[in-house]
Amino acid sequence: MEAFSRIYGRVRRLMHLHTGHRRQQGLCAAADVRLSVQQAADVWARRFEEAGVSEPGPSSQYIVAHVLGAKTMANLEPGILGKTLTDAQMQRVWELCGRRLSRMPVQYVIEEWDFRDITLKMRPPVFIPRPETEDLVSFVLSDLQPAWGAGFTVLEVGCGSGAISLSLLQNLPRLRVIALDRNKAAVDLTSENAHRLGLRDRLQVIHLDVMLDAEKVLRECGLVDVLVSNPPYLFSQDVASLQPEILQFEDLAALDGGADGLQIIRQILSLAPHLLKDLGRVYLEVDPRHPPLIQQYVEETKEVGLQYIQTHCDITERPRFSILQKTRPER
Amino acid sequence: MPSYVLSRLIVMAGQTLTWELKFPGRLLLSPVSVGLPRIRAAGKKDRIDLDSLNEEHLEEQFVRGSGPGGQATNKTCNCVVLKHIPSGIVVKCHQTRSVDMNRKKAREIMQEKLDIFYKGEDSGVLKQRKEQEWRKLEKRKRARETLEKKRLFKENVLADSKQGEDTR
Repeated sequence: MEAFSRIYGRVRRLMHLHTGHRRQQGLCAAADVRLSVQQAADVWARRFEEAGVSEPGPSSQYIVAHVLGAKTMANLEPGILGKTLTDAQMQRVWELCGRRLSRMPVQYVIEEWDFRDITLKMRPPVFIPRPETEDLVSFVLSDLQPAWGAGFTVLEVGCGSGAISLSLLQNLPRLRVIALDRNKAAVDLTSENAHRLGLRDRLQVIHLDVMLDAEKVLRECGLVDVLVSNPPYLFSQDVASLQPEILQFEDLAALDGGADGLQIIRQILSLAPHLLKDLGRVYLEVDPRHPPLIQQYVEETKEVGLQYIQTHCDITERPRFSILQKTRPER
Repeated sequence: MPSYVLSRLIVMAGQTLTWELKFPGRLLLSPVSVGLPRIRAAGKKDRIDLDSLNEEHLEEQFVRGSGPGGQATNKTCNCVVLKHIPSGIVVKCHQTRSVDMNRKKAREIMQEKLDIFYKGEDSGVLKQRKEQEWRKLEKRKRARETLEKKRLFKENVLADSKQGEDTR
């Protein structure tokens, strides 16, 4: 501990870390200090902690591991931790950690992240997939898996980086997916990720706003078996209190669901009966306060043509997922 | 909160196994016993048969920090803590950047640990490790023997050529 404090003190005195033009000075000075992989991670964890950056330890570890070509520090060979970083590696670590100091999310700093069994490219301000959403994919998979997705089509509303669509395509070799997003950057990123994963041939990505282009959505998407979405569901009043990582870097339009958080969800539910085949299902990720409200809405408004099937909890035991089904028309 | 059924497709070395798991988030109370097939340890060259995990004996915890979660939170820590209640064995996994993958890996590690815990010397995992260790030692032994043979051969050749010189 004492040895670390000595190294850290020396590094701090040499670095004079600032953002902007003085960062270059810090980088040049850093060349005089030789650090091991573990030491670099520790130095930056301490630096982040001092600056009040959230998750100081994990942040520095993910960045250092990434510079060394691994996904996590746990994946590095045991011997590597004690090895001295090259000048190029030091420079890269300092560059990336400098970005994290400005509260840029780790996923944007290293420009990638994992979702279930796939790695996706990340780019601000396209929404970063959340771990809770991995379970949303599980529910869709459990219903479609027996047939390997053969002959099924899924429509995703608000695809972002493509996490849900691509995860489904990866696991269901015969599935087809149509993905929509109102943000052109998201459409481009989803296409790019699809290309990198070799899934482009079974995916159609369209730049459409489900709120403004409803008619076009109905025309272009036809009848699908499944509608899945992680739509903006935050309450507008809650947006202002979000952490700086989200407020300063992510597309807030991908988060804000209006006063009650249900604005986009209601639109999706009104379009669903026209987009789904009979008995087709809707899988939604929502705010924990939403499931009873959605169930009430669907049951009170008979003309909606949807039946509420089930609410599922996420990994933190919060109600997070609503599953609905299109009712068969009565003859 | 209703418990839910989660199906997972696991492809191991070309074979496909599916099983139904119950994930209650906390300790489940389910009247239906889950018939789980024997699981092959994934990712190993010599596959060994391990007893399947009974989800009813497992308790899962996720280190996700405080905060509202979902879209309202951006956290990168996806550590999974898996506890086997009957034995008290705890597995912590943060090997990957995906919570789903960490859950799967935690279960694989738990299976191996339980195999050692309950079967002791008869554990397939321990046997496989011993065998791998033995193979390593055998390989080193053979390499040493080969070097020794080469050394002796060289010496003999030198000795022969010297003899040849002396007799001329």
